[in-house]
Amino acid sequence: MTESRNRKIWSTPWRYAESIAVVVALLVIGYLLQIVVGEFNFFLLAKPANYVIACVITFICIAIGLRCTKSSFARWLSGVEMSVSLIVALLLLTIIMGFTPQTTHSHSLLGFDVMTSSWAFVIIYTITLISLGALVVRRLRVFRIKDYGFYLNHFGLWLFLLCSGVGYADMERYIMHVREGETEWRVYDDDENIKELPIAITLLDFDMDYYPPKLAVIDLENGEVLPNGKGDYFQIDNDIPKGNLNGWEIEINQYIHNAVRNSDSTYQEVHMPGATPAAKVTAIKDGIIRTGWICGGNQAQLFMTLSLDDKTSMVMTVCEPRKFISQVEVYTKSEKNISAAIEVNKPLRVDNWVIYQYGYDNNAGRLSSYSSFELVYDPWIIPVYIGILMMMAGSLSMIWEGKRRKESENDVE
Amino acid sequence: MMWSNFIWFALPAILLWLSSGALVYSKKNERLSNLLMLAGIAIFAFFIAGFWIHIERPPMRTMGETRLWYSMFLSIVGFVAYRRWKYPWLLSFTAVVATVFVVVNLVKPEIHSKSLMPALQSPWFVPHVTAYILSYAMFGSATIGAIIQLWKKDQNKGVFNFIDNMIYVGYGFLMLGLLMGAIWAKEAWGHYWSWDPKETWAFVTCAAYLGYIHIRLRRNKKSNTVALWFVILAFILLMITWIGVNYLPSAQSSVHVY
Ligand code: HEM
Repeated sequence: MTESRNRKIWSTPWRYAESIAVVVALLVIGYLLQIVVGEFNFFLLAKPANYVIACVITFICIAIGLRCTKSSFARWLSGVEMSVSLIVALLLLTIIMGFTPQTTHSHSLLGFDVMTSSWAFVIIYTITLISLGALVVRRLRVFRIKDYGFYLNHFGLWLFLLCSGVGYADMERYIMHVREGETEWRVYDDDENIKELPIAITLLDFDMDYYPPKLAVIDLENGEVLPNGKGDYFQIDNDIPKGNLNGWEIEINQYIHNAVRNSDSTYQEVHMPGATPAAKVTAIKDGIIRTGWICGGNQAQLFMTLSLDDKTSMVMTVCEPRKFISQVEVYTKSEKNISAAIEVNKPLRVDNWVIYQYGYDNNAGRLSSYSSFELVYDPWIIPVYIGILMMMAGSLSMIWEGKRRKESENDVE
Repeated sequence: MMWSNFIWFALPAILLWLSSGALVYSKKNERLSNLLMLAGIAIFAFFIAGFWIHIERPPMRTMGETRLWYSMFLSIVGFVAYRRWKYPWLLSFTAVVATVFVVVNLVKPEIHSKSLMPALQSPWFVPHVTAYILSYAMFGSATIGAIIQLWKKDQNKGVFNFIDNMIYVGYGFLMLGLLMGAIWAKEAWGHYWSWDPKETWAFVTCAAYLGYIHIRLRRNKKSNTVALWFVILAFILLMITWIGVNYLPSAQSSVHVY
């Protein structure tokens, strides 16, 4: 590296000094724009603008990539020093983002709270995209099969960044609430505007299953779980019927997952929508023995607590859901009629739409009279997935081969 | 096998690991040292398997559970890397760091409940978390290498080679973990990347190691030193991603509980 030591900045070939200077200049331009015109509006990129932009960027990448043999500028833009400078710039911007709570509309001058739509971020992202694209083209000209990992990683990332970036504005997502037994085709967008979709959903049935609840001791005065500030809980588990809870030795004598209360305040197992978990518990402390049923209750049944002394009671916590599932019938304009069960992690694909289980009436839980779905339309998802899969294959090549390439003063070719 | 049994596996494993890490420096006891290390790993793995069966879900949900995996992977990675590169310090350092994480789990286990919210019930859950923790373990050993390399004034080519490979392999796992997470998020919530705070920090970690990988493509004494500092910086960022995010004001509603 003797050459770089005494060399004047801006004399070719450009190295770190020039790359860092250019990236800093780009950041300064970004922040000036941010101050003057405010954040970047991604929805300007909606169809068809994004198709044009994607083509223009691709064209620029190819043009610069092909110029690399002749132009030292093109070589610099797609070279190691520039790539490091760009990656470090993205690193700095995302670190700031990681420390700043993000919002939808900026309240700060520099737009740190809307980082991904701030001009600085968008500019660095775009230049990275161009640098990366040009690099791929340049290396494809000297194609070598043993560089497969390089192509998979860099082309995969390029495709991913391009399509997820420009595709963002074309994505549509809506919420639909459907009552049990009814059919719905109206949806709400983020701003609560109503829209009609070419898809209708009939909710045949909504059901939930829960995990066994926990027990806790509460202070009757303020309802807080004891000990104060660091509540102690006992997880009901048939394998572990005994334990300690806030100084009480407790034993679960019986646990019923779907229980209904009898007239004498005991519980029995009944499978019906209004059933709720209940447990018969014995608690012992300093010779005092308390035995009784405890139940968390729901909209159909009252809760039941076990009084321990004047100030404290043992109670059951609200159960955490194990799964919630909607039996639906879906109709489309294309005359399709599909019946399916939709649950979290198991969405339903219909034409270009994907339907996700979204929510239910949290207060009613299992007795919820409606189910909410999220409907997502994402036309750019296929190239994004191709990019992801290419990067996964590229990752495997890195695991398989480790570092093969030796350091050098200049780029490949 | 319950959490309350942990100490009966943890203490023997620690004893085996640490004695292996001490014996590895004497040529005579090399075989013994290897056997002790493997025995420690086996005991630890046995506990994790039993615990997994007992709680009826993958033990990867809470902070304490991810530490469990970290201790195990670190000891495995340390052992395999030691066999491959023949640096005894690798074995001792990873044994010590794995021990630290076991001790943290003994002192501050954090709640281990059986429930797993519906969004986490997915075939992607286990590979997503294991790929991540595995990469963390490799980056951990690369960081140890980088500190040693910065300590000694003359830069040893072999150690640099080791750091490079650990970071390449670790980066491969990191990307796999990240990309599987993206596919999973699409299945569960309809979007593969939503810049949730944990995702933002995962990107930060990725970018930092990517910086190292690309800096190292140039042969240059100065950039080598920068690269070594980058390994340390990247590891600090990784720790923020893994442990610190939960404490940041920007992350109060994240789906990532660990
Ligand atoms: C998924 C992300 C990435 C991975 C895994 C990755 C990995 C690698 C690896 C392993 C090499 C050396 C291998 C070889 O040359 O055969 C390399 C080279 C290179 N990468 Fe990346 N990289 C990534 C993203 C990027 C980005 C975002 C840029 C630029 C903005 C970039 C620019 C470069 C450059 C300029 C080279 C040197 C190529 C040459 O000398 O011909 N990479 N990358």
